[in-house]
Amino acid sequence: MTSLGVEGARKHFGGVQALDGVDLEARDGELLVVVGPSGCGKSTLLRCIAGLETLDEGTIRIAGRDVTRERPAARNVSMVFQSYALFPHFTVSENIGFGLVVREVRKSEVVSRVAASAELVGVSHLLARRPAELSGGERQRVALARALVRDPDAFLLDEPLSNLDAGMRTEMRTELRRLHRRVGATMLYVTHDQVEAMTLGDRIAVLDAGKVRQVGEPDDLYRRPNDRFVAEFLGSPRMNFLEPDRAAAFLRVPDGTILGIRPEHVRLDGDADGATTRVELVELAGSDAYVHLDAGLVARVPADERPHEGAEVQLRISAGDAHLFDRATGARLPWT
Amino acid sequence: MDVSERRHVALMLAPYVLGLALLVAIPALVTFGLAFTEYDLVRSPSFIGIDNFSELVRDDVFGIALVNSLVFAVLAVPLRLGAALALALLLHRRYAGIGVYRSAAVLPTVIPDVAYGLLWLWLFNPLYGPINTLLQWRGDGPLLTAWGFQAPQWLTHPNDARAAIIVMSLFTIGEGLVVLLVTRQGLPSELYDLAALEDATVWAIFRRITLPLMAPILLLLLARDTIFSLQATFVPALVVTEGGPPLYSTTYVPLFVYRNAFEYLRYGYAAAATLLMFLLTAAIIYAQWRIVKRWRRAFTV
Repeated sequence: MTSLGVEGARKHFGGVQALDGVDLEARDGELLVVVGPSGCGKSTLLRCIAGLETLDEGTIRIAGRDVTRERPAARNVSMVFQSYALFPHFTVSENIGFGLVVREVRKSEVVSRVAASAELVGVSHLLARRPAELSGGERQRVALARALVRDPDAFLLDEPLSNLDAGMRTEMRTELRRLHRRVGATMLYVTHDQVEAMTLGDRIAVLDAGKVRQVGEPDDLYRRPNDRFVAEFLGSPRMNFLEPDRAAAFLRVPDGTILGIRPEHVRLDGDADGATTRVELVELAGSDAYVHLDAGLVARVPADERPHEGAEVQLRISAGDAHLFDRATGARLPWT
Repeated sequence: MDVSERRHVALMLAPYVLGLALLVAIPALVTFGLAFTEYDLVRSPSFIGIDNFSELVRDDVFGIALVNSLVFAVLAVPLRLGAALALALLLHRRYAGIGVYRSAAVLPTVIPDVAYGLLWLWLFNPLYGPINTLLQWRGDGPLLTAWGFQAPQWLTHPNDARAAIIVMSLFTIGEGLVVLLVTRQGLPSELYDLAALEDATVWAIFRRITLPLMAPILLLLLARDTIFSLQATFVPALVVTEGGPPLYSTTYVPLFVYRNAFEYLRYGYAAAATLLMFLLTAAIIYAQWRIVKRWRRAFTV
């Protein structure tokens, strides 16, 4: 069942087309991550779904209802903002209960629901504090508790982890995943961070210049990207791209195409009569090392198998690991 | 801050501190000293202890001026702040013609006081002034408004004249408006997005979000406007109503001080009135600070 759906969404600001015919659906209880570079329209999409911006064209459905022309409050969605949007003059308890209080819910019910929501995200011990007395992670938990307290039809999360430091971001990512499993709610999560998207999402939608490039499960998008943009956007380090003349050393590639190969598929243990290249630079990233090669490629190898800088290595690339893209359109092509 | 930085700061502050000392602090101290003397600019000041203060307490005109000043402050300050806040909330968004509206709201503040007073002298004129012409439009009889009550006699009736001075002050709110406009624009838009998603009414948004978040600046403006309002009556009272109509209806403390000092040459007496006004202003500001501190705590869910 579709819990949240967007059909043919268009939105422009002045001369900029922020959304250009977006079709998207989040299934009931799904965590759908919308990922894309800055300015691709992902936050605009979220704001349009929330009703904070109006669509020029298109339809938005939440829990089976057409809410395109409804005001934000009538859509019954909760939103978590990048800046947390906590009221500085309220305590944590008052922040979490804000939506219930302005809806004139009975005081005893507000107290119990605030307590339950705070318990769910682990901020019960902070209820009397004000936002200024909280860490970034605690503030984000409070923002989540406020979103949870109202039992909405869908949750909209706008880059909620962007303001956290790297360690806290990883911790909160796991917490969010756990929380999603526990509450089983439909969540639409917007981020520019592909690692966040890959680790969090049940499915991912890649957005570029106001258009959805591909929607699918993280593994599917990583292994079978529809086009060069998706292939390049997902994965770290990025996919290597080689023109046919440079790719000829490893594989035969038709004219008018570009070869794409992920760094983990660039192997440095080729035959002695295979292509040889020199190691230009080695970056150590924990258990892995990124090896920059003179051939214009980056290889990802286990750190303890890394070559030293300046060494000559033999390359090995299998056709089964490589991707072929149309040079003009960027579309992925089948190997012939 | 090291020694060299301190020297730079001292050097940069020196012109201001010197000017402040020569033009404000020393004259203020001299004035406070004069409050205990009898001085008419001709003979040397002679020390008379607290005689000036005793006389002020018995002086009916000073009593009237003091009450007029306080009534003006009590009515004008909330009205001025309220008007500035309302305009700031109306004008903080960007839409077509907003620059014109903002300029129009600030313009009266930059008109020189005397020119502004003369303009209102014409606006308030009971015979040909546009305000009463408008109020009496479709009125049932001479000097009657369309609603049946008598049009205000701005310059001749005591209470109407007091109201006129307050009305005049309501259009010189440009400084407060600019400060509140910037403050409102600085409030995070996400808080208002959230309020929209949570179905908060306009009143709830104002009471629970806008007002508490703007309260620190409002407090600052309240103190500033109180000081201003106790002085701002001088030019309107001098130019528009000349302290009248009879029985000193619009004689405020600044005009009382001016007349005693420069018309009756009673500098010591005027200085004593100034000192009392200074102490009163300080007491009011302190009381406001205490009240608003409590008031801010009340803005919770």
